[in-house]
Amino acid sequence: MSTPKALRWFVDSMVGYWVLLLVISLGAAAVIYEVWFKGRM
Amino acid sequence: MFDFAIAGIAAPIILLVFVGFTVGTVGGFIGVGGGYMVTPALIVFGFPGYMASGIDMTHIAGKGVIATVRHRQLGNIDWTLALSMVAGTMLGVELGVRLLVHFKNLGISSVALLITSVVVMFGLFLYTQIETRRAHLKAEQMSREGLKVGREIQTSSLPRLFQKIPFFPIVRCRTARVVVSMWVIVAVGIVTGALAGFLGVGGGFIRVPALVYLVGASSHIAVGTDLLEIIFSGGYGALRHSIEGHVDMMAVLFMICGAMLGAQFGSIATSYVRGPAIRYILSYSLILATCGAALRLAYVLTGQSVELLSFFAVMLTLGEMIFLCLFIISLVWFATRKKHGKAVPPWVPALVM
Repeated sequence: MSTPKALRWFVDSMVGYWVLLLVISLGAAAVIYEVWFKGRM
Repeated sequence: MFDFAIAGIAAPIILLVFVGFTVGTVGGFIGVGGGYMVTPALIVFGFPGYMASGIDMTHIAGKGVIATVRHRQLGNIDWTLALSMVAGTMLGVELGVRLLVHFKNLGISSVALLITSVVVMFGLFLYTQIETRRAHLKAEQMSREGLKVGREIQTSSLPRLFQKIPFFPIVRCRTARVVVSMWVIVAVGIVTGALAGFLGVGGGFIRVPALVYLVGASSHIAVGTDLLEIIFSGGYGALRHSIEGHVDMMAVLFMICGAMLGAQFGSIATSYVRGPAIRYILSYSLILATCGAALRLAYVLTGQSVELLSFFAVMLTLGEMIFLCLFIISLVWFATRKKHGKAVPPWVPALVM
């Protein structure tokens, strides 16, 4: 299975890879906050 | 939700276990106890500043032992360097704790800790960024020229300058391959110890760059030696913070549970990557932690009236921890693929073994 061309930059470039990881991480953190922590902290 | 009676707040247990796991992984990996992100993170999650500092320091003392055992097996500890630094470190910790008690009595411990964290971490981010970029470019150039790229690439000229200081006694650190005046090592100990005692950190995020850029040790030796030093600074600091009533042992216990697993994984990960990669991660974790602390500081300074600031502070702080875990896990995965002759992205070979 090959990676779509549009997504190659996120893997082939170090900056792209960091951006991808950062977006995933911040998104996950936002979801966790909304689902779990909001109103409890 | 668990009621932390001594700290005076309620917080989810899983949050503290996750914080412990993340800083355990990062700490075992880059030698930084993780305190630089724990103290601001605990303040972001609602703990009082002085309590965040005490909890952080106490959990680091326990975690340092676990990670040090692993690094000793890997041969990353220079005992001469570490033991020469102990006296300075403990003096520094005492100074730092007394300063924190002063701010606590003024009722501004959280603000003082957040401001200090932001200033120190941003300064370190800029410096390590510049140094690491230079090392990475040098590694790429060596790869292009067909030269063998070693585990460590030194670009700073500062170590040579400090190694020329002629004050007696001169110490020969065989494992680190460094010959330097003991006063340089003691001075590094005092400064890092003071920051450690005040911020409640092990001091690794200052000590690792100091050992690399000032003393001239390699990243891996700096990491292992720093972890040994953290046992002393963390142990003494934990005792002092406990005497001052800054420690909630239940919070410490939950964090150590996560940190035990993380420290083992992080230490193993160091044998898969080169020095520049370690410093890249240190650098980026610093800027993310800085942004989270700065937003929390803005929230506190605006009278805790802008909820959006609190949301982004929590999001960045949690996001930073998830980011660090993913980054370290993926680097190990790429290194394993490379070792088995499988395809990896073009930027990976310069960072992994």
